[in-house]
Amino acid sequence: MKLRILVADDHEVVRRGLCTLLQGHEGWEICGEAVDGRDAVEKAKALKPDVVILDVGMPNLNGLAATRQLMQHDAGYKIIVLTITDADQVIREALDAGARGFVLKSDAARDLVSAVEALQRNRMFFTPRVNEMVLAGFLDKGHIGGKNEPPSLPKLTAREHEVIQLLAEGKSSKEVACVLNLSTKTAETHRSNIMRKLGFHSIRDLVVYAIQNNIIQVQTSQVTPTETSMHS
Amino acid sequence: MKVRILVVDDHPVVRRGLKSLLGSHSGWEVIDEASDGAEAVDKSGQLIPDVVVLDISMPKMSGLEACRLIRKNTPASEVLIVTQHDSPQMMREAGAAGARGYVVKSNIGRDLIRAVQATSEHQPFGWDQDRTARSDQKSSDLI
Repeated sequence: MKLRILVADDHEVVRRGLCTLLQGHEGWEICGEAVDGRDAVEKAKALKPDVVILDVGMPNLNGLAATRQLMQHDAGYKIIVLTITDADQVIREALDAGARGFVLKSDAARDLVSAVEALQRNRMFFTPRVNEMVLAGFLDKGHIGGKNEPPSLPKLTAREHEVIQLLAEGKSSKEVACVLNLSTKTAETHRSNIMRKLGFHSIRDLVVYAIQNNIIQVQTSQVTPTETSMHS
Repeated sequence: MKVRILVVDDHPVVRRGLKSLLGSHSGWEVIDEASDGAEAVDKSGQLIPDVVVLDISMPKMSGLEACRLIRKNTPASEVLIVTQHDSPQMMREAGAAGARGYVVKSNIGRDLIRAVQATSEHQPFGWDQDRTARSDQKSSDLI
């Protein structure tokens, strides 16, 4: 029986590249493709894939939030997150969300097949940077990230994280309500609670927070030889 | 005769995706790929592709510099920029560098096939969003 894989990335060319890469492996098949985190969660629940590959920087619901939702729904999901950065915070959130594989997009052609093979054997797959961080955390205090862990942020619910992403992407409370199937009043209440908890007074503050905490990702217009964005 | 295409992007997965999308079109052939601007210039000189599908942000040599050199050294090859940069300034720079077409990566599903079709016929593509870029494109045609 073939290993069934769901691939989620908002860029068609990247999805296509990932699919052709994985389809070339004997015994694997792409059972579905998703264009954002919300689509990925729905399709993962419907299709029950053996492995889910989630881009972190997707609109509507990012890959980390999608990972959290899926793991809350069923802790048996095997999820690999794809990211453009292995910054400490992204690693920490991916592990905390329950991802079992962590692959840099720039290395996907080299590492993704190995990562899926690892999960197929019920193992985990991380980049050397993640392994170092996990080990450092273990040796330090038994916590991932150890003493480098940033100061704790106000506790937000998963729903509030979803609302933050949608607001930071420029959606109004009414649009947020529509996407999340809530009443506008409930969406506005979430918005008020978020602003109060974080001590913010403007959407600008919220957007900055969302960028700093990798809830949304912004593309740069600058051209630099060292830029590593997959979508450059 | 098939349209011969050179695909240039520093990310292997993106190259793979582009090759898959372009390879599904009958009458087109992806003849090779390159992972940076310098390699793109070299391979364009050797292979003289009809269309170079060229990323902008790449190591060693940016796509804009590569575009200038390709257009100078291999004028028979048209350049289609495929980039994440959705800005009038970048479009102007690409037009000034001699690119014939401009596609933003988030619109690839909608635009790539039409853009390659147009550029392979030496027609401009993707400049309508910005008049200055289009005028730069026309200027570059005269060079």
